[in-house]
Amino acid sequence: MKRAISLSVAAIALTVIAAGCGGSSKSSSGTTSTTAAGGKGGTMLTVANAAPSGSIDTQVNYTLQGWQLYILTHDGLVAFKRAGGSEGTKIVPDLVESIPTPTNGGKTWVFKLRSGIKFSNGQALTGNDVKATFERLFKIGDSPNAGTWYNGIVGADACLKTPKTCNLSKGIVVNGNTVTFHLTKGDPEFLDKLAVPFAFILPASTPAKNVNIPPPGTGPYMWAQYAPTKQIKLTRNPYFKQWSADAQPAGNPDVIIQKFGLTPDAEVTQVENGQADWMFDQIPAGRLNEISTNYTSQVHINPLTQVEYMALNTRIPPFNNLKARQAVNFATDRNALVKIYGGPKLATPTCQVLPPGFPGYEAYCPYTINPGSGKWTGPDMQKAKQLIAQSGTKGMAVKVNTQNTDPQRSYGLYFVGLLNKLGYKATLQPLSGSIQYPYVQNSKNKVQMAWSDWYQDYPAASDFLVVLLGCDSFHPNSNSSPNIAAFCNQSIQAKMDQAGKTGITDQAAANTQWAAVDKAVTDQAPWVAMMNTKYVNFVSKRVKGFIFSPQWYFLLDQASVK
Amino acid sequence: MAEFAYEPEPEVVLAPGEARQEITGKSPWRLAGRRLIRNRSAMAALAVFLGLVAVCLAAPIYAHHIAHTQAIEPNYTGTTVVNGKRVDVIQQGGGKLGIGEIPISPTWHVNYFFGADTAGRDVMARALYGGRASLFIGITSAVICCVIALILAMVAGFYRRWSDSVLSRAMDLIWAFPVYLLAISLATVLLTKPNGLQWGPIHVVPSSLWVPTWIIAIVYVPYVFRPVRGQVLATREKEYVEAATAAGASNFRLMFGEILPNVISTVIVMLPLMIATTVLTEAALSFLGIGVQDPTPSWGTIIQDGQGLLYERPLVAIVPGIMIVLTVLSLNVFGDGLRDALDPRSKVR
Amino acid sequence: MIAFIVRRLIGLVFVLFAISVLTFLIFFAIPGVDPSRSLAGRNPTPETVAAVKHEFGLDRPLPIRYGLLMKRLFISRDLVSYGNTAVKVVPELTAAAPITFSLIIGAAIIWAVLGIAIGVLAVVAKGTILDPLIMVLALIGISLPVFWLGEVANLLTQDRLHNTFLFSWVPPLGYVPFTQDPWQWFLHLIIPWITLSILYIGFYARVLRANMLDVANEDYVRTARAKGLSERNVLTKHILRNSLITVVSLFGLDFGVLVAGGALLTEVVFGLHGIGYITYQSFQSLDLPVIMATVLYGAFFITVANALVDVVYASLDPRIRLA
Repeated sequence: MKRAISLSVAAIALTVIAAGCGGSSKSSSGTTSTTAAGGKGGTMLTVANAAPSGSIDTQVNYTLQGWQLYILTHDGLVAFKRAGGSEGTKIVPDLVESIPTPTNGGKTWVFKLRSGIKFSNGQALTGNDVKATFERLFKIGDSPNAGTWYNGIVGADACLKTPKTCNLSKGIVVNGNTVTFHLTKGDPEFLDKLAVPFAFILPASTPAKNVNIPPPGTGPYMWAQYAPTKQIKLTRNPYFKQWSADAQPAGNPDVIIQKFGLTPDAEVTQVENGQADWMFDQIPAGRLNEISTNYTSQVHINPLTQVEYMALNTRIPPFNNLKARQAVNFATDRNALVKIYGGPKLATPTCQVLPPGFPGYEAYCPYTINPGSGKWTGPDMQKAKQLIAQSGTKGMAVKVNTQNTDPQRSYGLYFVGLLNKLGYKATLQPLSGSIQYPYVQNSKNKVQMAWSDWYQDYPAASDFLVVLLGCDSFHPNSNSSPNIAAFCNQSIQAKMDQAGKTGITDQAAANTQWAAVDKAVTDQAPWVAMMNTKYVNFVSKRVKGFIFSPQWYFLLDQASVK
Repeated sequence: MAEFAYEPEPEVVLAPGEARQEITGKSPWRLAGRRLIRNRSAMAALAVFLGLVAVCLAAPIYAHHIAHTQAIEPNYTGTTVVNGKRVDVIQQGGGKLGIGEIPISPTWHVNYFFGADTAGRDVMARALYGGRASLFIGITSAVICCVIALILAMVAGFYRRWSDSVLSRAMDLIWAFPVYLLAISLATVLLTKPNGLQWGPIHVVPSSLWVPTWIIAIVYVPYVFRPVRGQVLATREKEYVEAATAAGASNFRLMFGEILPNVISTVIVMLPLMIATTVLTEAALSFLGIGVQDPTPSWGTIIQDGQGLLYERPLVAIVPGIMIVLTVLSLNVFGDGLRDALDPRSKVR
Repeated sequence: MIAFIVRRLIGLVFVLFAISVLTFLIFFAIPGVDPSRSLAGRNPTPETVAAVKHEFGLDRPLPIRYGLLMKRLFISRDLVSYGNTAVKVVPELTAAAPITFSLIIGAAIIWAVLGIAIGVLAVVAKGTILDPLIMVLALIGISLPVFWLGEVANLLTQDRLHNTFLFSWVPPLGYVPFTQDPWQWFLHLIIPWITLSILYIGFYARVLRANMLDVANEDYVRTARAKGLSERNVLTKHILRNSLITVVSLFGLDFGVLVAGGALLTEVVFGLHGIGYITYQSFQSLDLPVIMATVLYGAFFITVANALVDVVYASLDPRIRLA
């Protein structure tokens, strides 16, 4: 997924900080995730520049900002364990009593709902609510992944054609508290898809159109107020009783507020002064030094599974030429990009698609001087110039498209300078954050080189490789085509399909296959992969018990303000 | 004959310090020139302004031959020599966590005199380059604006009736569009057109300096149009115009022979003030990101760059601001002096 | 007089209509900006995008789209922002208006009082060193770019001198509603007020001084002095009052421009989410409904201010009514 778009004012340097490093060999410097826990009660006051963009409907919103709050107010059938480190990638039962083993070749899943769970409006949770939730996913018409993630449910195809009359009685069979899912084919990622907010269970009475405030949920908090130009207010759900500390622990603060309207710079000042407990937006690069020197214990740096890259359009000149793409990869000085971000402690250069620590990751970097170690060490300008000469694309005009705020704009300027050095005629095309992403996906706009980034939706290699580089992810002339590079290589696609099939039965073998796919794709250079970043969280002095989950990042309600 | 002997003395306007006999028999332009030269503060301001222009024009010389630093291209991994030691231009941040990257502080030496900005570029050299863009846009758009406004005002004021109606309403319309909004609208649209604009052989790239130049020029045309039109209307009624018409002069000759010379002093007085206004407007638009586009520097974009560094390296934002203030101030003082010289009677803008 | 007012009103409606069409056309010309995509959320299916397009009337011909936009803006007032569908445009602007008005009215009071005081002072001190000194300061004031001045003010009050007794009281950037906490509202606005007013103080001081010197040469002033009135009397009752006419009309025009969103830069630099700020953001994200609303709002106020000033002038000077 992408982060929420924060509409910053003018060019305030935002730092996107994420480093992929899920607890394996590389260690993150600086403070670690957990600190001593505190007590219950109090109001946690958080700040963000703007409300999560788009609709606030739990089945539509696809922003980190929204998702971090939905996990506090709603539940899915299963959940990612609320813990830090690699524990947080495990799936545990949430609304169901236990995780079933699928039968029938992975096509049938029988879930038994826990009894006694109530929504925040007092209604009891039943199997009908589950069925109604999934039908609503299709009925509302604008749920982003209805057609791509949940189309495996029997009857979903018909729902995609005629959403308003969606009926999933064949795909979701309700028998009291037992809910049976029938899929059209096995899906090794089915549980992950049930654990994200799109599939969080809503009351069956929820109207089948976009809501202006999230509907009642089963979580420890409920949405008391959503004023998109002012604030969000979450208060305790009076009907919540903790049933699983792993899946949905009771929260510490009594009230959680998220106020909108300040610039990230002003937010930093507020957190420093104790007027806010946490800021959602990333710390502007110019303040990093200040907070790390004067407020060291309040800064938390955590690894992320994320990648930043420049997509190269593989279908139009000059980057429809493989040598040209590889040349740019060789020429890029990833150290400069790391500096733009905030330094080597916050970002690590990468040449490949998958982030470190991800299933299927094996370090691989051919685009460096002295390749072979798997790590990027330095640019090879000579090789780059050679390749450019061989490609015959020298002198062509290239437009580099990025967002118009820092650091993306600075990346863009760097690449403009680099391309000019290589002999192209490069210019920068900066667009506002809220329109850049759809713009670069649409092939009609003939974007040659565009910045983008990707955070995991859930820990599966396909979430990166297939979603961003699979043939099916390219939709010509559509604003919704996550394969920005328009990359489609038949033999690599076959390998992807194979790895997907293997994963149904043997995840470990599949991961080896995904690693091979990663290498093959990297060799084709549809991207200039830039770096994997780390996430910097800045909290106020009184916040205790900071836990960073690899899936949901800062777990707001597990910290205390008292 | 006695009855016709009395001729009222023509009203003579003297500038302060001028003696009556000095001005008899001299052409008004010559008189104006003399008054201007005698005005020391105006001359000093003019010297400051021309000095700024000269220094900014010399930006490449400074960057390449004196400072040997980068002013345009990003320079993240560059190094320089400070106090005999070679250091990174952008250094890793301090604190135990070691996060953040900071550009070097002012060295007060020839290289990186005012320090570096976030991309490792020399602030001093960049400010000079920025001056080229800002002054070019400022001066050119002011000139274009005054020329267009003059022509339109002459047409409107001379022909009156429907041409005056149409033009005045059009000017009202442009002026009712809040100045910055109009500029922002035009800039936004032009900048998102990926291939720029194309009219036949003319191809305007979005990053060209002509885009903000023309936008700013158009936005201020109504502002110059109004007073000039008033002058044209007033001059039109004067006796010498009537005399020339009676003598059989064509419209063209009337406009350019009689009216223009008398109206042009208004425009000349407005010119330095318009340059000051356009420089400020360009800085504001670039600051908002819709004026001059990166990587071309202008004073406004440098201030915008300096925003993120405001607390760490404030000079990045302060230096271009001071240059703007100097430019605008000197133009204002000179404009005052110009007005005093051309028309010692008027004291209001 | 009535005919004059009616003529101006008709002109106002015409201007607003023309501007709305102009704005609509300008922004329709932007390629690749298809709001249906961002309205449909992330990763939607093509069917989703088509459905959203239809719901927002984006697949209809231009004149109908324009008509729909105007109807939603003025008649049903349920126009929705493209950036966040839960945000209604008209209430958003209405909520932001108090912020802009707080900023402008406070600054206006400061610059009116100080501008007049300094202008009068310069006239009274004519001949001494004080006069040119004041004029130089005024000149510097009008040469400062307001956004740069705001940045420098922030640098001093928020950071460098924040811990000294001078500025430790300065709160972080932002706005606190008067109804919520009047004292905080005041503290948050002082520095923006001063920043915004410095430009106008210099300007009005100069204009007033020039006007007063002109008026001082008029015959009736000479008569007043000859009659034996005290200098103070002459100054206030005769010179000042007559000089204020120009100042008042200029004030009306400037205030109109500021209300229309001219305080945009100040709002952006100080994090005050008034109309100017919303305007700027809407342009950045090409949020057409909000753009249209803010532009029309701005044009309305400027035209009204112009008309009001003309009416005031006309009532004072009959010659203008006949023009």
